[in-house]
Amino acid sequence: MSEPILEMRGVEKRFGGVRAIDEFSLKVEPGMVYGLIGPNGAGKTTIFNTITGIYHVDAGKILFQGKDITKVEPHQAARLGIARTFQNIRLFGNLSVKSNVEISCNMNAGYHLGDALLRTPRYRRVTKETEERAMEFLKIVGLADKGEERASSLPYGHQRKLEIARAMATNPKLLLLDEPAAGMNADESLELVEFIRELKERFQITILMIEHHMDVVTSLCDACTVLNFGKTLAAGTVEEIKKNPEVIAAYLGGDE
Amino acid sequence: MLNSFQEGVLIICCVNMIAVLGMSVLTGFTRLFSFGNAGFMSIGAYAAAICSVEYHMPFVVSILIGAAAAGAVSYVLGSLTIRLRGDYFLISCLGFGECVRVLFNYTKNITGGANGYSNIPYKTTGIVAVICTVLAFIIAWNFIHSRYGQALSAIRENELAAAANGINVVRYKKMSFVFSAIYAGWAGGLYAHYLRFITPTLFNLGKSSELVITTVLGGLGSLTGSVLGTIIVQILPEIFRSMSEYRMLFYGIAVVLMILLRPDGLYGYREFSLKRLIARITNPGKSKTAKEQK
Amino acid sequence: MKILIQQIITGISIGSVYALIASGYALVYSLLDFSNWAHGEVCMLGAYVCFMATTVNNMPYWLSCVLGIGGAAVISFLNEKIAYRKIRNNGSPNMFLMIAAMGLSTTYQNLANVIWGSKFKQLPKIFSVGTINFDGIYIGTTDMLCLGLSAVALVILLLIINKSKFGLHVRAVACSSRTAGLLGVKIDRVIAVVFMLAGALAGLAGIMYGMKYNIYPTMGNVGLKAFIASVIGGLGSVPGAIAGAVLLGLIETVVSGYISSGLRDLISFCLLILILLVRPSGLFGVDVQEKA
Repeated sequence: MSEPILEMRGVEKRFGGVRAIDEFSLKVEPGMVYGLIGPNGAGKTTIFNTITGIYHVDAGKILFQGKDITKVEPHQAARLGIARTFQNIRLFGNLSVKSNVEISCNMNAGYHLGDALLRTPRYRRVTKETEERAMEFLKIVGLADKGEERASSLPYGHQRKLEIARAMATNPKLLLLDEPAAGMNADESLELVEFIRELKERFQITILMIEHHMDVVTSLCDACTVLNFGKTLAAGTVEEIKKNPEVIAAYLGGDE
Repeated sequence: MLNSFQEGVLIICCVNMIAVLGMSVLTGFTRLFSFGNAGFMSIGAYAAAICSVEYHMPFVVSILIGAAAAGAVSYVLGSLTIRLRGDYFLISCLGFGECVRVLFNYTKNITGGANGYSNIPYKTTGIVAVICTVLAFIIAWNFIHSRYGQALSAIRENELAAAANGINVVRYKKMSFVFSAIYAGWAGGLYAHYLRFITPTLFNLGKSSELVITTVLGGLGSLTGSVLGTIIVQILPEIFRSMSEYRMLFYGIAVVLMILLRPDGLYGYREFSLKRLIARITNPGKSKTAKEQK
Repeated sequence: MKILIQQIITGISIGSVYALIASGYALVYSLLDFSNWAHGEVCMLGAYVCFMATTVNNMPYWLSCVLGIGGAAVISFLNEKIAYRKIRNNGSPNMFLMIAAMGLSTTYQNLANVIWGSKFKQLPKIFSVGTINFDGIYIGTTDMLCLGLSAVALVILLLIINKSKFGLHVRAVACSSRTAGLLGVKIDRVIAVVFMLAGALAGLAGIMYGMKYNIYPTMGNVGLKAFIASVIGGLGSVPGAIAGAVLLGLIETVVSGYISSGLRDLISFCLLILILLVRPSGLFGVDVQEKA
């Protein structure tokens, strides 16, 4: 197989005396949809935070496309090609829907402060391109007609989609989705699965996702890791995981 | 044309507007509070005045040096303090402003200390002040409506999300800080060349608070709001001259009342638009319902 | 050596006045996560109430002091009751509390200026003797009074917070106001009482400051020193605020005595920056990381 796009080796993160993640390892191959599942407080979001540089690990190594990213800052992670969404949606609430996406597009915008202050032709051209690019992403998530609305005024489902559009606008190679189906009913989840599949096909990205809805995981993920108390309980394909007795005891068999 | 009193009011108003526009970028768009911008104003004022008086530099050069000096100091200060969170950053700015005042009081040989620095040539005429203000507004407007301004707004809205979308939060915050300091220095330089005589107490904590209050009253996140806020804060008391003693008292009360009764007014987020105003006047019913729906 | 001891005692004494105000900042910050800018003005108003009572209305001095302390407590309570509570209930962001406090601070400062003018006033001293000689070490009686009273007040405050049932409620709300509310703590009442307590301490500080120095409309800026002290100690930590205040008082007097009184504030500020660079959340503060 090819070189993994993301690899975590023996990662440990402590908060005070608590080990939020412990000896955690992971390999994600390019083009995969990889699932992270586990009960609440198992350390899933902490893993996302270590990958994106929000937390720095206490031990271990994180590699992205073979490059050590253990110590990068969040904005550097984004620039390397790692985009993410948040469990509790974090939009730029008071800005317009379009601005939310434009801000991400700006990451690669090619004009300088002087261009901006003097409104040079280059500024005008790039700004127009950015706007068009942002609208394209809004079209993809079906929010093109809502471009001028305030992001916080959107209904919940649309906010989730906008957050994904914003993440995609950074042109990522790896997309981290933190509970994208949270709060969705069965129909909506189904729609989301289709949507994520489309994204993956169209942009050729790799996806690492945290998800509780097992039907979403089953229909999307090529492989997954089950976490419990910061440790890997099991890893493998979804079918293997579902048969694993430990997993059943800890999570799937619960009265959720 | 204007008589000399009116011209004076105009100049003071313009000078403050430039400083407030800087505050607006920092506080309104980046949500960083600084109670030290009077300190940057005084750095600009003294640097420009010294350039004019001691080195006989042309007015434009003096002003540029004043603004650049304020910017340079803010860059150094920002490099140290911009990572501090919320109130820790705020207190460091406040302390800085007070320190500049103490320092200028102390360096009698250079600044004349508490006795003030005098004989500054009168260069800031009404025309100069207006031209500078228009220029300052256009630059601030272009800055805010570029990717730089968008990045600042993103930081204001959600720092973590901004970072996750490729925005170097520390760098942009520092940029915003330096921007506001350059504007304060610019205003200070003009102020010195209008008053012809400056003392460190002109730029005390009260001045810094006045800048913050003006920005808040004008609405956070709106440059036009800041312009309007400055006009209200600077010109109203001149119209009601007998009440000028109560000026800051009224603004203090106004801030409290506004926050209690109309907290949304503080979120400017909207720029004044002539089109919208005309639409509202010619078609009041319609725009009102549209607003209510919102 | 004797001069140094003299200065250390003066320093601790002025630090103890800062500590009274700083602990008020810390208490409010621990509950509501905002810096109550109007706190310095509460201190100023307390001093003026005492001044009015004793010089204009010729009340006995002890009663005037009690009125000053009580008045400050009431003003502090009213700030909370009229302004801050409403803002909290509006669900507005914390920043609004700070802006409101800033507005209140400006209001009070200018109100005092309008009512009493900007002239310095002084409270009468309690002792007829200015200084007492301890084997060549001269110590101001007012300094000793400040130190003594502040120490007593601060010990009582710490006892209330650490030992009483009310103190437990305060600590619970500081930890998580939601959880405390669910467990039956009457949050608004706890906050109101804390504001009164902080106000009373500020009033005491104002009176002592007025005795030692002067009373004037912008004397609330002492509150800034206290605020710096509570930042040095770590926002929201009462013991930190006290430690920071004493440290600041010491440094100020030593700098004034040995270097230059003109550079006093400059050096305290540099110290502040230095401390924040090493410990971004102050000496006793907890570095909280935002949860993603």
